Amino acid sequence: MSDKVKRLLVIDDEPIVGKRLQQVFSKIGFEVETYTEPVAAMAAMAAHPFDIVVTDLKMEGMDGLEVLRQAKAMNPAARVIIITGYASPDTAELAQQQGVFAFLAKPFRLDELKQVIFRALEELEAGQ
Amino acid sequence: MAIVDALKDLFPGGWPWQRGAPKYCRPIPLIFSRFREVLKANNRALELIADMGEKLSGDYLFDQRYVHTTVEELIQAMHEAVAALNNLTEDRWTALVEILAELEARVRTIVTGRDDREGPALLWLTDIQSHHWPLVGGKAAHISELCQSPQTQVPEGFVITTRSFHDLLDANGLREDFARFEQLMADGQVDEEPLEALRAALEQKVQQAQPPPDLIAALTAMVERLQEAVGAGAAPLFLAVRSSAQEEDMDFSFAGQFRSVLQVPAQPAAIFQAYLQVVASLFGAKAVRYRRQVFPEGGPLSIAACCQRMISAKASGIIYTEDPMTPGSRDMLVVGAFGQGQAVVEGQLPTDFFRLAKGEPPQLLDATIARKEEALMGVADADGGLATVKVTAAQAQEPCLAEAKLLELAGIASRLETLFKRPQDIEWTVDTADTLYILQARPLLLREAGQERKPLSEKLADYPLIATAQGRVAQQGIGAGPVCLVETLADLKTFPEGAVLVSHRDSSQFVQVMQRAAAIVTEVGTPVSHMATLCREFRVPCLVGVPEIFGKVIAGEEITVDADDRRIYRGRVVELLTYQAATAMNVQMAPEFRVLRRILRTVSRLHLVDPLMQDFRPEGCKTFHDMLRFIHETAVLTLVDIGRDEECVSGGKVARHLDLPIPAGILVIDIGGGLAPDAPADHVPYSAVRSLPFRAILQGMLFPEVWHRAAMPVSFRDMMHSMLTAPQDALSGQYTGHNIAIISDTYVNLCFRFGYHFNIIDAFCHEVERDNHIYFRFLGGATDIAKRSRRATLIATILEAFDFSVRTRGDLVIARTSNLVQSEMERSLDILGRLVGFTRQLDVQMTDEAAVERYAEAFLMGDYGIVAREG
Repeated sequence: MSDKVKRLLVIDDEPIVGKRLQQVFSKIGFEVETYTEPVAAMAAMAAHPFDIVVTDLKMEGMDGLEVLRQAKAMNPAARVIIITGYASPDTAELAQQQGVFAFLAKPFRLDELKQVIFRALEELEAGQ
Repeated sequence: MAIVDALKDLFPGGWPWQRGAPKYCRPIPLIFSRFREVLKANNRALELIADMGEKLSGDYLFDQRYVHTTVEELIQAMHEAVAALNNLTEDRWTALVEILAELEARVRTIVTGRDDREGPALLWLTDIQSHHWPLVGGKAAHISELCQSPQTQVPEGFVITTRSFHDLLDANGLREDFARFEQLMADGQVDEEPLEALRAALEQKVQQAQPPPDLIAALTAMVERLQEAVGAGAAPLFLAVRSSAQEEDMDFSFAGQFRSVLQVPAQPAAIFQAYLQVVASLFGAKAVRYRRQVFPEGGPLSIAACCQRMISAKASGIIYTEDPMTPGSRDMLVVGAFGQGQAVVEGQLPTDFFRLAKGEPPQLLDATIARKEEALMGVADADGGLATVKVTAAQAQEPCLAEAKLLELAGIASRLETLFKRPQDIEWTVDTADTLYILQARPLLLREAGQERKPLSEKLADYPLIATAQGRVAQQGIGAGPVCLVETLADLKTFPEGAVLVSHRDSSQFVQVMQRAAAIVTEVGTPVSHMATLCREFRVPCLVGVPEIFGKVIAGEEITVDADDRRIYRGRVVELLTYQAATAMNVQMAPEFRVLRRILRTVSRLHLVDPLMQDFRPEGCKTFHDMLRFIHETAVLTLVDIGRDEECVSGGKVARHLDLPIPAGILVIDIGGGLAPDAPADHVPYSAVRSLPFRAILQGMLFPEVWHRAAMPVSFRDMMHSMLTAPQDALSGQYTGHNIAIISDTYVNLCFRFGYHFNIIDAFCHEVERDNHIYFRFLGGATDIAKRSRRATLIATILEAFDFSVRTRGDLVIARTSNLVQSEMERSLDILGRLVGFTRQLDVQMTDEAAVERYAEAFLMGDYGIVAREG
């Protein structure tokens, strides 16, 4: 992996999610920004694009699919990972069509998410 | 005989097989299917409990929704388990329904955040148990833990719980104001003005509040108890009344935010007034500002007060178990002055300063003695309070603590640091009789060195790694210390303070050293084992399933275990330890974790371990886990009894003789997949046995020389003894000559009755290791109690050597093991098979204590022929 600072955007309406991921990923050298409101998160992304976005699916104001769509519009290279307690096959398929990088069902082991994110980084680097 | 009593308790209406005149036999397949329903519901509930426990390790990301849905599923599974047992036993255990309702209500209280309202109004400090923690607040919970730590003296006292806080609000009509206040606090964008007005009003109203009904009477009783504890004729008693905010792990962050009132006369009215000051400080401007800054999502907060005897202090102060300026230096700092510690904490008076090196024993490195002309002392008149008094000129130059006392303090502080798994900030005091007391211990917050922006991962790159990305996290955290290799349970007896336990496999027996362990690493094991659960309780960082770690470390070398990132480093990685202590917003404090932890305390602890104990009955069930244990045991007993019942079993096609090359006389009842489909209707050969655990036992029994054929020469006295005692043995009537094995593909319940001893092996064994268990019970014999007890000792010795956890009482041996991978299960069951054969009639040969050792040694060496040779 390159030395470029890895930036990670986390969006989930339950604060624990952002807090945990902030802790886990800053420890291993990521720059992490966390939001409980997707609208604010998208504003942050517009100001300073992120390469990796981890978002909840069901949120008030904007759902994970919309986050996926907007993030991809702002940065087509962005890798978006949706984490959810409720993924139905329909949503999963819709997300696939819109270019989601991975789906993870909550609760999950932090290590699983780490592996997914490392894979996303590898892809990003290979693509550059 | 204990087992008889216990069984009688289990069947209060008399033995089921003796009750009622005409024998009524339910179809056995129906009973089996109901039995399996019980197992299914039980397993479902146990899996959910294990799942929640695993989430608590810190290795998972979960949210509130997970907590709520899992609790609902668990409650559902509990209802199903109770219903299934009643279905199996024809409603003999309806008492469980009420007990479940009670426990369910308690769990719901936690989920809805009302668990600080229900419980005693006052609690004596040493009576506090972990399920009381939400009621007593963080500080008092910590103090109650200090009381459990040996060599730590804590002043006697009691807690006015958060239940009293809620009573106080209700009795004074403050409930609505409080609810509104919490609502405003929870709102991130609230206007300052209404919040400030409400806060101030609450603060003032609380200061003028009237006591809730019965509180003064309860206080009077507690003061009397305290007088008694201190002893008559002692100096007049004064109390320290300190705040203890509700959140157990958050408390340290509130240091200094709430009021403490010292030297309060031990009279109920005075204590109540001091208590009001403490409660009012919850609404103090300072505390409210702090809460909004530090814990914006902390949720509602209630407050308890910890009331302890004031120590007539000669000197007091603080000890830090790490130097916050140079983390990782292994230095401890002590600050102290004459008199009460308040002056030290608030920096009012000059203080002595000592630096000590950690170690066994600790060493004094350096001392700076201040000129201490004044001391803060308790005023022993009716109003109490503290006053500054002059110190004599000669004394002013003296160190406040002698070196010996300093070293004693450093030793205690080190132990508390290992106990709480973090650097500690500890308040101490020494009384006029030179006794050292610990008043408080809280985590010491460290800051990472300087403004260095270098990421942690880079700093770690220089440390040699022993293992990376291997194993599973049983409990997150970081711990460092010398390696202690644990091969047998006996090694635990010499486990050093602060060491890292490294072992081939996990064992719940490690609980003996968890308070002293810095971390635990095992080669096999799962994050859902009993040991893992215990690690979470004691917050011991723990990695399981790290391949070959045993061979990669040397006993005594220092290693650092990072159970967050699954890395093990050679040496002491100061940066990681500092990182851990500096991470103020510890994940374990998040509301999701707190709720889950509280739920698990109510759900997953196992008190009802032993079916032979008097409390093994529905009323003894204190947790869901207890209930599940009871349900399982009762279901198995029901099945076993029906299986044994000659009238119901014989004549049916259910029990089949097993043909073995040894005369073991076993009847087999297959409840599903235990025998080959084409097995004969009777006289089943060994080759037709498909039950995994049963096959393993038989394999052991059939091992060459294990089954000594010759009958033991029973002496006339032994013979008389067995003839005389047999009829009184209530068990003798039930198992008329048959040894019965109830088996399925993954299960065996084997009851032996050889020569008047009674032996059960109950085992479940398949590929999911967390489901696996072996339960072994051995009782009785034909000879006198001394010989029988020797045989029990022999069996216990052998089983311990094979890592079973064992309990003996007289001639009773109970051994258990669980959570083993399938191959280890089979090996253990094979050993049990050998043991059953080996010790079958051995009691006769147990003529002296030396025989125990000789036979144990022979068994362990595989010399099974000794029985025939010496017999």
